[in-house]
This record gives sequence, structure tokens and C-alpha cells, in this order.
Amino acid sequence: MKALKHLLTAISLLALLNSCAFDVINVKQVPTQLEVVQPPRNSFSLQREVRLSLPAGYSRLLKKGTKWDFIGTTSYGDVYRTNDQILTVEASNIHEAYIVVSSGMLVGFYLPVERSFSPIEPQGLPMKEIIDN
Amino acid sequence: MKVACKLAFVAAIFLLAAGCATSGPKFTEISSTMDALPSDTGRIYIYRSAVVGMAIQPEVRLNGEVVGRAVPMGFFYLDEKPGNYELETTTEVTRKLSLTLEQGQKRYVRLNISLGFLVGHVYPELVDDDVAQREIKDCRYLGR
Repeated sequence: MKALKHLLTAISLLALLNSCAFDVINVKQVPTQLEVVQPPRNSFSLQREVRLSLPAGYSRLLKKGTKWDFIGTTSYGDVYRTNDQILTVEASNIHEAYIVVSSGMLVGFYLPVERSFSPIEPQGLPMKEIIDN
Repeated sequence: MKVACKLAFVAAIFLLAAGCATSGPKFTEISSTMDALPSDTGRIYIYRSAVVGMAIQPEVRLNGEVVGRAVPMGFFYLDEKPGNYELETTTEVTRKLSLTLEQGQKRYVRLNISLGFLVGHVYPELVDDDVAQREIKDCRYLGR
């Protein structure tokens, strides 16, 4: 009888732990609309690397020398993407991301699949504008 | 007698490991003969370069449809229309990766393993091309 009680306690504990140990932590995001505007803003390159802290505790590195191309604008800022490195944001799941820039500050990410904006603490970007001839 | 027991144990482990080994040609052996990418599609390479958690080989789903399995040291690829995709694996939890795919684009997704409560978690991660091309070299083709 005692052994059965112990077994039941152990099973209950396991079930409890299993149900609460891996709660999904979502990337904070709000739906937004990406608008293509003409003429497009100039591309820019990063003059030094930039380390970003994501709200869920992960970090990301924007590499020095990466070129960022304007793809549109949202109510939160202008959206730029790069082909020079992979950029994702991460919590329990991982989402491909572009950067959102407002007044020279990186203010968050645009998630192209979810069509949403994910904010972070604004951070300055060492941008060097690339003027197209 | 004790030594014989130990030897038998080690042999059994080796046999077990050999049984789990991934078969198929290495990426480097077939990369030049792989199907050309159809002009209206992009390609997603999915690979698992770690042998840790060998027994954990969950299905890999693309937009909800099973497309393969997370086999250690294995890879496969998918030619898909340009668009938005969600890749997921499930062990005791489901882990997802959302990514875009453009025409002619090649994307690399690594299946990582992390500690879990009862079972390890396998999670898909988008990887830079240069890193992925180094890591996938020794992975073996799992077929489609």
C-alpha cells in the first residue's frame, strides 16, 4: 500500500513538472503592416559589430560590414534586411527577422512570416549610408 | 572473467552504436550530382550535425506536413515554392522556426538538441550559409 502511494506521488510529481517545466515563452510581437514606399531609402552598412540583447535572454550579433537594404516602412520605423548574415529572434521558438530603424536607432524587429513587430530597448546603430549612383 | 564481461559490454555498445549509425552518401559525395534547383523554387537543406541524443529522432514538419526525420549526422533537402514556412519538431515539446524562402535561394536549417526533462528537445535553427556548408559536409543523405 505504501509503495503504491509512493508510486502515485512520483507519477503526480512527474506529470506536474512535465506540464509546467516547458511553458512556451513567446517573442513579444504586435501585428503591423509593411508598406513599400517610393523612392526607397538608401542602404547602409554597419561600421562596427552590434550586440543586441533580446527580451527572452538571448543575444544576437549584427556583424561589422554587413549591408542592410531598405524593404519598406511600418508605423514603428523603416525595415531593413541583409543577405550577409542570418538574423533571427528567439524565445521558445525562432523567427526570421529584419531590423526596424527609427531616427538612427534600432527599435525592434520585423518578423516577415508573422508580419509583426517585435520591440527591443532602442539602441544606436553605427550606420554608414551607401549612396547609389 | 571480469575482463571478458567488460569486453562483451564494450562490444555490445559498439554494435548498438553501429546499428544506429546513419547510412547514405555523404554530402560531399553527392553535392555535385544533386538535382538542379527547379527555376521556380528555393531549396531548404535540413541537417543534424550532432550525434548527442542519438535515440531521439523526431519527425520534421514543414507547414504541418511530415517531410523527414531528425537523424543524427543526416541531411535532406526540400525544393519549395517561394513563400513563408514554419518548420517544427516535437519531442516532449514542440519547437518551431519561421523562415522565408525566395526563388533560387538556398537556406540551411540545423536541427539542434538541448536538454529536456524526460527527453531531449530538438529545435530547428536557421544557419549562415558558410557555417552550414562546413557542418553539413560529413552528414549523410537520408533521401526524400
